[in-house]
Amino acid sequence: MKDMNIRTIYESDKFIKMGFFVLWREMVLSLFRSRELIWRLFLRDFSARYRQSFFGVLWAVLNPVITVGIFVILNRSGILNIGKTSVPYPVFALIGISVYGIFSTGLSLCSNSIVGAGSMVVKINFPKASLVIASMGQAIVELLVRLVVIIILMIIYGIVPMWTSVFFPFVLFPVILLTLGVGFILSLMAGVLRDVAYFVSFLTTLFLFLVPALYPAPQIGILSTLNKLNPLSHLIIGCRDMMILGHVSDPAGFLLSSLFSVVIFLISWMIFYISEPRIAERV
Amino acid sequence: MTDNLAIKAANISKKYCKSLKHTMMYGIGDIAKNAIGLSSNSSYLREGEFWALDDVSFEVNKGETIGIIGANGSGKSTLLKLLNGIFMPDKGRIEITGRVGALIEVGAGFHPMLTGRENIYVNGSILGMSKKEIDKKFDEIVDFAGISDFIDAPVKHYSSGMYVRLGFAVAVHCEPDILLVDEVLAVGDAKYQVKCFRKFEEFKKMNRTILFVTHSAEQIVRHCDRAILINDGAIISGGNPSDVSNRYMDLLFGKGTEGSISETCEHQVSVSNNLDIKDVLSEEIKRFIEEPCVGDKFSFRKSYSKTEYRWGNRYAEIVDYLVLSDKSADPVKCKTSEDFYLYLKVKYIKDVKRPIYGLFIKTVDGITISGNNSRDLDINRSFISQKTGDTIVVHFHFIPKFTSGEYMLSVGVAEDADGEIVPLDRRYDAIHLTFTNQGLSSGLVDIELKFEYMI
Repeated sequence: MKDMNIRTIYESDKFIKMGFFVLWREMVLSLFRSRELIWRLFLRDFSARYRQSFFGVLWAVLNPVITVGIFVILNRSGILNIGKTSVPYPVFALIGISVYGIFSTGLSLCSNSIVGAGSMVVKINFPKASLVIASMGQAIVELLVRLVVIIILMIIYGIVPMWTSVFFPFVLFPVILLTLGVGFILSLMAGVLRDVAYFVSFLTTLFLFLVPALYPAPQIGILSTLNKLNPLSHLIIGCRDMMILGHVSDPAGFLLSSLFSVVIFLISWMIFYISEPRIAERV
Repeated sequence: MTDNLAIKAANISKKYCKSLKHTMMYGIGDIAKNAIGLSSNSSYLREGEFWALDDVSFEVNKGETIGIIGANGSGKSTLLKLLNGIFMPDKGRIEITGRVGALIEVGAGFHPMLTGRENIYVNGSILGMSKKEIDKKFDEIVDFAGISDFIDAPVKHYSSGMYVRLGFAVAVHCEPDILLVDEVLAVGDAKYQVKCFRKFEEFKKMNRTILFVTHSAEQIVRHCDRAILINDGAIISGGNPSDVSNRYMDLLFGKGTEGSISETCEHQVSVSNNLDIKDVLSEEIKRFIEEPCVGDKFSFRKSYSKTEYRWGNRYAEIVDYLVLSDKSADPVKCKTSEDFYLYLKVKYIKDVKRPIYGLFIKTVDGITISGNNSRDLDINRSFISQKTGDTIVVHFHFIPKFTSGEYMLSVGVAEDADGEIVPLDRRYDAIHLTFTNQGLSSGLVDIELKFEYMI
C-alpha cells in the first residue's frame, strides 16, 4: 500500500497557491503517469471508430486522394495554374495535404475530445489532458495510412527520397505540438461555447487554402506575406522538404515556427491543466 | 491532521450557476483569470449563482463507513465530486489521505461499441490502474460482475443491471483506500446489492474508508458506522445512523420540527422490554383522549402523508390519530414484531347508527398487506351508535410482521346502511411509517422463518 499515505489537498485557486515550479512538476508527473491511459484511450477510440465500418481506416485515404485528384483535374484543364512543383504534382500535393491533415483532423478531434467524452468528464477524476492527447493519435494513424499511399505514388513516379528523409517524424513533431496547443485551448472552450465546433470546421477549411499544402509557396503577393507570417506554413513546407529533399530548405523559418509551436503548446497545456476542474463544472 | 484521518473537510462551499448564459460568461472569465495567475475570487456569489454546498465541515477516520443521506438536490453528489477532486471547492479546504476510488456514475467512460473485456481495460486505466494490475484482477472483476458469458459482447447490448455490475466491479477492484459511492447500488437487484455490501465489509476489515450516498434509511442503519444528513447544501445532522435516518424521515415526510416528540419520549421514558408500551405511554394516550378536538390535528402528525386521498360524505370526521410503537408516541419509524397501536379520534357531525372503523396497510408500491374493519372483526356485528357532536376514540392493535420498508396506512369511518357500506370519512394512504425489521428476511411478510439442522 504505497499510496496509503498520499495526501491530496483540494481548495480554491489551488494551482495559484502551489506556485509555478510545483505546478509544472505536477503537470509533468501527471502526464507521465497517464501514458498508459493515453494509449488505452487511443486504442478505445481507434477500435470503436472502425468497428462497424467495412472500409475502416481506408477512409483516411479517400478524402485526400479525391481532393488532390480534383486539383490535378483543375490544373490540367487550365482552370488553375499551380505552377511548377519540385516533384510531380500529385505527390507534392498529397504530402502537403497529409501533413496538413495532422492539423485539421487533429484539431477537430482534440477540440471535441472533452465535450465528446460525455459524462465521464464530470463523473470521474482522471487527467483529462489524456483525452486530448489520445485523440491526436487518430490523426497520426491517418497520416501513417496516407504515407503508404504517398510511398506507392513515389514508386510509381520513380522518385527516390534521400536517406535523411527518415528524419521526417522529427520535423512532423512541431506540427503535432502546435495542433495540441491550439487543441487544448479549443477543447476547453468547447466545454462552455458550442461555437467552437463550427469555428474549427471553418478554420480548417480556410487554412487548407491559406497554407501551401496544395500549391507551392508563392513568392509574391498577399498570400506570400501571409505564408511567411503563418508558422503552420513553414512547418508544412519543412515536412514536405524533408520528405522529398531530405533537408529543410528554410531552416530559420522552420526553427522559428517550431519554437513558436513549443511555446504555444506549453502555455496551452498549463492553461488546460489549471482549468480542468472548472471545465468539469461547465461541460 | 492526525494520521488516522482519511478525509478532513473544513468549511467547504461550492456554488453553482442557474443560468446558462452566466455559466458561459463566468466560465470563460474564471479560466482567463486563472490562466494569467489571478485568483478567481470565488468566495462571493455573482448574479445568478447560489451555494450548492455551504460551509460544510466533517472528518472521516480511516476504516469508517459513512452514509450520506438527503433529499434530491440537497448537495450529496456535489459533495462526493468535491471529495473526488472533480470540482474544486470555492471556499474551504479538503485534505484526503490515501488513494481515492469513486463510483459516481456507473459505466461513465464505457464505450458502447467496445466489448466488456475492452471496457474493463479502458475503465480500469481511467480509474488509475496499470495494465498489469488489471490483468491480475481481470478474472475477479468478471466474476464479481457475473457477466462471464457476455464478456466479449459489446456493452451496448448489456442490460442496465449488467452495466452497473461491471462498472461497480471495476471500481472496487482498483483497491482504493477511500471508496466514494454515489447512489449506484439502487440499480442492481437485491442479490447484487448484498454482494456489494459484502464487498464493503471486506473493505472495512482492511481498514479502508467508504463513503456512500443513498436514499435508503435502511441501508444507512444497517451498514454505516456514522451518517451525515445533508439538506439544502448544509449538514443538518451527523452521527448515529439511526438518529440521522430518523431525522431524514422527519425531514421528508414530517413537519420538520426540530427535536421531535419521538426522540423526547425515548429520552424521558426508560422502558424495560416486558412492559406494555400502552402502560408506559399511558400519559400520552390520556392526553390524546382528553385533548379537545379543534380543527384537523390529523395533518399535523409527524407521520402524516400529504399525498393522502380523502373522501366520504363527512357525516363523521377522523380529526386526529396517534401511533404508539417502538417505545414512542407519534413516531415516523416503527419496529416490526413489537406491539403497534393506532388511536383514532372521530368526531360526528350527524347521527350515525351503525358506524364502522377500518384500517388498511399497504406498501409504498400500493400492495395491500392486510386490512379489516370493526364490523367484520366483531362476530356479533354490534355497533355503537353516535350522535351529532359526539367524539369517540377507537384503537387498533396488531403486531406488524413485515419486512423492513416503508408502509402507508389508510384509515376510515363508514356507515353500515342495511349491509351496504357508506363512506363517511376515508383517509387513504394518510399515514406514512417506516418499519425496521431486525432480521434480514425478504418479501413482504416476515413469517419468522425458523431453521435447524437435523443430524
